[in-house]
Amino acid sequence: MLNQILDVKGLETRFRTDEGIVHAVNGVSFTVDEGETIGIVGESGCGKSVTMLSVLRLIPTPPGMIAGGTAEFYGQDLLKLQEEEMRHIRGAQISMIFQDPMTSLNPVLTIGKQLTEPMLLHLNMTQEKADEKAAELLEMVGISGASERLKDYPHQFSGGMRQRVMIAMALSCNPKVLIADEPTTALDVTIQAQFIDLVKRLQKNLGMAIIWITHDLGVIAGLAKRMMVMYGGSFIEEADVKELYANPQHPYTIGLLGSLPRLDGKHSERLVSIDGLPPVLYEPPTSCPFAPRCEFVIDKCLKENPILEEFSPKHRVACWVDISTGRSR
Amino acid sequence: MLNYIIRRLLILPFILVGVTMLVFAMLSMLTPYERASLYVSDIPKRQGAIEDIIEKYGLNDPIHIQYWHWMVGHEDKNTGEVKGGLLRGDLGFSTVGHMPVIEVIKHRLPATAELALLAAIPLIGLAVWMGIQSAVHHNKLIDQVLRVLAIIGWSIPTFVLGLLLLMFFYAQLDWFPPERLSTWASQVVQSGEFTRYTQMNTIDSLLNLRFDIFVDSLRHLVLPVITLSVISWAFLLRVTRSSMLDTLRQDYMTTARSKGLGERTVIKGHAVPNALIPVITVGGMTLIGLFNGVVITETIFNYPGLGKFMASSAAALDVVSVLGMTLFSSFVLVFGNLIVDVLYGVVDPRIRLD
Ligand SMILES: Nc1ncnc2c1ncn2[C@@H]1O[C@H](COP(=O)(O)OP(=O)(O)OP(=O)(O)O)[C@@H](O)[C@H]1O
Ligand SMILES: [Mg+2]
Repeated sequence: MLNQILDVKGLETRFRTDEGIVHAVNGVSFTVDEGETIGIVGESGCGKSVTMLSVLRLIPTPPGMIAGGTAEFYGQDLLKLQEEEMRHIRGAQISMIFQDPMTSLNPVLTIGKQLTEPMLLHLNMTQEKADEKAAELLEMVGISGASERLKDYPHQFSGGMRQRVMIAMALSCNPKVLIADEPTTALDVTIQAQFIDLVKRLQKNLGMAIIWITHDLGVIAGLAKRMMVMYGGSFIEEADVKELYANPQHPYTIGLLGSLPRLDGKHSERLVSIDGLPPVLYEPPTSCPFAPRCEFVIDKCLKENPILEEFSPKHRVACWVDISTGRSR
Repeated sequence: MLNYIIRRLLILPFILVGVTMLVFAMLSMLTPYERASLYVSDIPKRQGAIEDIIEKYGLNDPIHIQYWHWMVGHEDKNTGEVKGGLLRGDLGFSTVGHMPVIEVIKHRLPATAELALLAAIPLIGLAVWMGIQSAVHHNKLIDQVLRVLAIIGWSIPTFVLGLLLLMFFYAQLDWFPPERLSTWASQVVQSGEFTRYTQMNTIDSLLNLRFDIFVDSLRHLVLPVITLSVISWAFLLRVTRSSMLDTLRQDYMTTARSKGLGERTVIKGHAVPNALIPVITVGGMTLIGLFNGVVITETIFNYPGLGKFMASSAAALDVVSVLGMTLFSSFVLVFGNLIVDVLYGVVDPRIRLD
């Protein structure tokens, strides 16, 4: 059996805003094994980024705050660490790349400076050694003329190149976990495919686990083994990718899969989208957050919030309705 | 970077010529008679004398020829000698100053420069530092206090502040007197034993090892410096604060933290260099704006610099002096702008390398 490295339980994160307290993450649990790739999907605003930022304790506080749960990394609860100890985890053991490569790099610092920073910090390298390693890293992610390019600034790189720089930076200290928060959303399709290939190759060589966040199910299919579907700050379905595609149980997942453009090119049928908007929760959910948009809704959905329950081995779903009959389970 | 500076320098002559044209245009709004009487101090008291002067100096010539003469000087038809001309430093004769405008400027610039420098350096340092603190401790006590202070500083008119300070610290307490030096100190400074290297009293007194004079000149500078700086300080603080707040929200700040950097490094190494970019532009403009403040401040404190000269020239309708000063301060502004542009390139690679 593979080693479990990350075990998040009952994570809750809230934001104090002028409109009230936003319950962005409401009791999320998941585990990550060494070297595996998991996917997290869901619409914009459902809490994907906040979940992962909470694990790294990068939520801006205030207005944000982690209200509950644990996040054990090799058995050590990250949420209880001193800030100083947490800093030795960030960038060294768990690192993260972000959605928009155009804004994620500091525009006034050279690529070399930004790339060497984590190594100087975590690996006690000398500047020369770090520069050398930085050039190697750039080569590794497919940027040619690497040692020259270290002197360049972010604006001299294209979006795809910057995302490569980001991943080189994230992997510079050989982390155990890489969190990729929609890293391909801002890239165009061919660049996207190249980037995903690059990530797969890097994972094969370096063996880190990957948590891949996206709202694009097409991307995740080729990458992850296991995936969770998130809605309104909770995971509402969780299964192996194949199982989830073949046998989705939650009406929201079905909706998401329905709105996936067909990969075989035969998309004569129009793109299905789920009507309505994702909720912003100002109260902890007391009913199913998806109920207002759900075509299968029954009375119970409005009275009680379903929790994840086993549907079949390794397939869990949070829904009161058995969608094959349309009645309560 | 060199390219960038050269490009800036190439535009410079065009801007300067444009400025002289504007000032000349203002001048040529006066009739030839008015100009003749402005520029010639001793018009003989006889019939037709003024027409002769107009004739002699070509004040009825086509406008472009007049502009040319105004710029490069005018040849005397009898002697063949070329006289005047902006390019040779002739800004006209100041009736208020009883000497050529350029001499007035040479004479009074050190006093104003001393005041402006002593105001500018602490003002910039304090405003930027406080702005950063205010943003980093957003909505905490220190932020609230600084915000209130900045609003007060920003809204209080310079002349009100100056008069209040004068009333309290001079009239009531007699700590900080107006003018530039006490009578005794001024006698020493003008005597032969005191070498006036820079004509700035604070610096010269130190170089002459006269600490009593140093203290005296500082006492005279305290109130004008405060009066002059407060508005710019408040403005710069607000600009720095909002620029810093904006920077702290940027994605690359999360990236920096996600690498495990400490909060100090994140702020100093990643946020401040970005936040300072807009501050440099605005800060440069603010400094140039000090030149406006100088007119009011020097008048209130009876401080013998260019600002006071400007005010008395305007009050006495000394058009030559006012236009001469306008030209001079435009040049200062243009060069100030150039420095700001270069600094901008120094801090922002996106500008420097394009
Ligand atoms: N700094 C903040 N202040 C207030 N609310 C916030 C803040 N950050 C996030 N939220 C709220 O938390 C919720 C989840 O946001 P999150 O960024 O995790 O969404 P996401 O699933 O990552 O969406 P996307 O696909 O657009 O990245 C949203 O409702 C958002 O309004
Ligand atoms: Mg997100």
